[in-house]
Amino acid sequence: MRRVLWRRRDFDASAPSARRARRSPIPIQRQVSSDDRGQVGGIEALPFGLLVFVVGALLVANAWAVVDAKLAVDAAARQATRHFVEAEVDGPAGVGGAEDAAVAAGLAALDAHGRDPARATVGLSALDAAGGQAGFSRCARVTFTATYEVPALTFPWIGGFGDGIAVTSSHSELVDPYRSGVPGSAEPCVG
Amino acid sequence: MGAPRRRVDRASVLLLVPAALLIVLVMASIAVDMSLVHLRRRQAYDLAAGAANDAVTAAADEGSLRAGGYRVDPDRAQQVVERIVAASDLAPDVAAPPTVRVTGDSVAVEVSLYADYIFAGVIPGTPDGTTVTASASATAAAGP
Repeated sequence: MRRVLWRRRDFDASAPSARRARRSPIPIQRQVSSDDRGQVGGIEALPFGLLVFVVGALLVANAWAVVDAKLAVDAAARQATRHFVEAEVDGPAGVGGAEDAAVAAGLAALDAHGRDPARATVGLSALDAAGGQAGFSRCARVTFTATYEVPALTFPWIGGFGDGIAVTSSHSELVDPYRSGVPGSAEPCVG
Repeated sequence: MGAPRRRVDRASVLLLVPAALLIVLVMASIAVDMSLVHLRRRQAYDLAAGAANDAVTAAADEGSLRAGGYRVDPDRAQQVVERIVAASDLAPDVAAPPTVRVTGDSVAVEVSLYADYIFAGVIPGTPDGTTVTASASATAAAGP
């Protein structure tokens, strides 16, 4: 074991003992400041904190992806429904053509929100006619449903991977009972 | 003049990094919760707009129509709006019955929805959600 001749905090270069120590043939060992209290107290927090950050960031990113998708499918369902109830169905395309145009309008709304239409479905989920009438008629309640598959794992700027949560929204409106070009009678709308 | 003191602050830096990451996460969760409130507000507006748009035509007063005018029946407008809100996906989140105001050929609808927080709800002592309100109106207009 080497002998420590002096401690740095006691060192005074002008002291006679220090001058003697410099001339001494005995090798002087400076005490290495190996203060590892900081590492012992905090180094385990780094990997643990990083792990919490990565998991938390993924959680927040996925929650945001679902909220954003919900905004998009809400708009898509509403757009498709509005397009359908205001369609001119007495033309050559008929109700089928109006439905196709409404679905296309819903998918276009999703595309405008920056969503991939290939992951989405928009469709007519209910057409409830009033007073025993059938199909597209006055006062019929039209409901369109839009669904979007949110990836299981969403990375910001990179994209998503895996099949994940299906975010669904539906919107319903009534066909105007008094506008022209709609088949059926407005009598069942009363009451 | 004494020798300069050597300050060792490595420990403080080590502990500040996870604290900073935690703060970033908390801020991000607040942003998600606020966007959820924004989503609910938009849904409330869509529901109110759809209900008002339906009520202004489906609740037209027949007597007024036959006389060549246009007037909305307030009682029927209330019924139409309540049916539409009850049939909506958002019916479980409705915080209060919708308010309907009829003025001549116009209908104004106010809808209140409850918005649940995702992250703030896990913190003890904080509210689980908030109530958002949106209103919309529709006026009947003669076609071309």
